[in-house]
Amino acid sequence: MRICELVLRNFGKFTDKRIELSNGIQLIYGENESGKSTIHSFIKGMFFGIERGRGRAAHNDVFSRYEPWDNAAYYSGMLRFESGGKMFCIYRDFDKVSKKVRVICEGDGEELSAEDGDLETLLGEINAGIYDNTISIGQLKAETDGILSSELRNFATNYYAGGGGDIDLTAALGSLKTRKKEIEKEIRLALEEKQKKREHTEQEVSYVWRDIHKLQEEKERLTQEIELRKVREEKERQSCEAEGKGVIDEIRPEKWRVHPLELIFLLVLSAAPVFLLSRPWNYMLSIILFLCCGIYVWNRMKVSKKQEKTEPELILEEITPQEEKVPVEQLFWESSHVSEELRDRKTQYENLKEQIEELEEVSDAFWEQEKRRAAVQMAMDRIEELSGRIHRQMSEALNERLSDIIANITGGKYTKLVVEDAVRISLICDGRKISIEQVSRGTIEQIYFALRMAAVEFLCEEELPVILDDTFAYYDDVRLANTLKWLAENKKQVLLFTCQNREEQALKKLQIVYTKEEV
Amino acid sequence: MFHRQPLLRELKEVCYLFEQLTVTQVVLIAGNHDYLKKDSYYRTFVWPKHVHILLEKELTKVDLPKLDVSVYGFSYHSKEIKEIFQAKAHSSDDCTTRILLLHGGDENHVPLQKDRLLSLDYDYIALGHIHKPRVISANRIAYCGALEPIDKNDTGEHGYILGEIIGKECKTEFIVNAGREYKHIEVPVSPDMTSLALKEKIREQMEKEGIQNIYKIILTGFREPQMMFDLGNADVYGNIIEIVDQTKPSYNFEKLMEQNQNNILGHLIREMKDFDIESVEYQAMCEGVKALMETRRG
Repeated sequence: MRICELVLRNFGKFTDKRIELSNGIQLIYGENESGKSTIHSFIKGMFFGIERGRGRAAHNDVFSRYEPWDNAAYYSGMLRFESGGKMFCIYRDFDKVSKKVRVICEGDGEELSAEDGDLETLLGEINAGIYDNTISIGQLKAETDGILSSELRNFATNYYAGGGGDIDLTAALGSLKTRKKEIEKEIRLALEEKQKKREHTEQEVSYVWRDIHKLQEEKERLTQEIELRKVREEKERQSCEAEGKGVIDEIRPEKWRVHPLELIFLLVLSAAPVFLLSRPWNYMLSIILFLCCGIYVWNRMKVSKKQEKTEPELILEEITPQEEKVPVEQLFWESSHVSEELRDRKTQYENLKEQIEELEEVSDAFWEQEKRRAAVQMAMDRIEELSGRIHRQMSEALNERLSDIIANITGGKYTKLVVEDAVRISLICDGRKISIEQVSRGTIEQIYFALRMAAVEFLCEEELPVILDDTFAYYDDVRLANTLKWLAENKKQVLLFTCQNREEQALKKLQIVYTKEEV
Repeated sequence: MFHRQPLLRELKEVCYLFEQLTVTQVVLIAGNHDYLKKDSYYRTFVWPKHVHILLEKELTKVDLPKLDVSVYGFSYHSKEIKEIFQAKAHSSDDCTTRILLLHGGDENHVPLQKDRLLSLDYDYIALGHIHKPRVISANRIAYCGALEPIDKNDTGEHGYILGEIIGKECKTEFIVNAGREYKHIEVPVSPDMTSLALKEKIREQMEKEGIQNIYKIILTGFREPQMMFDLGNADVYGNIIEIVDQTKPSYNFEKLMEQNQNNILGHLIREMKDFDIESVEYQAMCEGVKALMETRRG
């Protein structure tokens, strides 16, 4: 890009002031208060506009300072520049009422829209901040402010590391981070779902286990009961045997309560007195004996062989629960049923435990999610790694370029300049590292000059003119000559505002072609 | 038969079903899931006369003289059997036809060796364990698979194998019998497709394949990079279990790489484009490119 013509229609002290500019070094000479800085501000204003300050700040801001001395309504200007082989014209009204800007391509008359950033595109994507911190150097203002370091850092991580103007690394990484979080949430939900399932199964297991426990108790109770019954029965049988009716019971067949022989004996016994004794006692005795026999038989028929239950036994029987009265057969049946049930439950228990074990196995879906998560993580890692690599490459390249410039300016005294994190600058001299605070004011100025020149090369695709407003006040003659020489060799267009003759003399001495314009 | 140890009531259910068979002889073995534990109900359960279960750990047989068939088989007594099956337990009193029942086929469950099995001189070997029907050797060895699909990944046709042995000639045929089928269908997506168009396409494809089946829809192909398909109510028949989006953004990676030679996008593609399309790296590249492209300025 090259500035060709400035028309300060109404700006500060100037009215219809026209300045033509050509390639190479443009020496713009003027005495103090001749308006050099006004022109400098005008160029910036044309490119980026002049914002009005608000409130009290408005009294001495740039806008008020260059408000035309007469005829404030025509606060405007024109700037022609060449970019990419085409001529463009910027018309700008700074006036607060009719504030507007028009950019016209002179070749085809097309009007570009400044609002949509067409102008910035033409300028090589620089904004006012970068402009101030690189190509435009005001009086004793070579020092860059925080904007440059943050721009450089931003540039390093975004623009440069991204490698293209439109890639926004931070946003891309942010988007990946969000994506990762989403996937992690999905994984968490899936795990929770699984956990729920597991808990459900575990609950089932606990129910089954409780059943098992209950059944086991029941089984034990039944076995004990049966055992008890058996023992009791055995005892009863034994006691029956022990207290049996002796010989008669012994010889009496099992099924008969009264033995037939017994009956015959009883009949004979009751009939015997009739024959043996004399009347009348025999009948009587016979009847008595017969009744006795009848009672005996009746007694035998009524009660079983079992012993009569005693009073306490009866009470006990009364208070024992119904279930204990159930017959042994039923107990046996119940016991076997409980055993069956228990076995069933146990199988079920084992099956459920197996099911839980299977739940432990990681599902395919989980691996799929995990893979997606890994992919996003890998994308983040890779992008960061790549940007780091590019960042380092840029830093190295920037340092190299800086070193080259500073070596030129200082005539080889300082051969290496190192910028760390785009803020901490140090010089390397004879193998020693010197921090910027330790060197002279002039050198500091030169270092910042070098940093500006190097930075602009990185930040802007388009080569831009360099605008220097009495920048060399602290430079000695040798370094001034070196700097001018470097500028002439490296820059297409340099606007050099000065109120002194030493630049011109130096240029003459160096036999550098220049154009001089006096204001 | 069972995926876990059978409960008594479950055996009773099966038994009831077997009782419905009038002319069929049933021969069973226990597999790795319902292997014969010490107190397994298999050991004590009383089956109808026409149901035979081979409970031994070693190869045993049951002779079915009416059919002139001897059926060999053995049951699992543990969860795994790692030995290769090679028993050749033919006896002289065998019937004319010999059939072997064998459960397993993977590395922990009686690894299969086709040639060895073929050399064992069975007329037919009926395999179990794998749920998908599969023929190992035509008309000789086959998995009949599960009668019905039992898992959502149990895709493909299910049914049984109908075999006929006449003399020494065995002829088998797979009979599809399952009421439903799990189907994974791939629906190719093109970059110009809208959500509605995709839904229509899914519906059409399901109708073509039969709406009684249960579907897992896999979206493949390339979608418009910014496109997010809204498939909220795509499940019109209530038979979709899952829709998996495997579409790749329709970035032309080669072209993008060329256009972005010197920036991070180009570097990223260059580093990772040669990985397999299913790999994590490739997926990472897609994610990275997507993020970088979507957050571009301007």
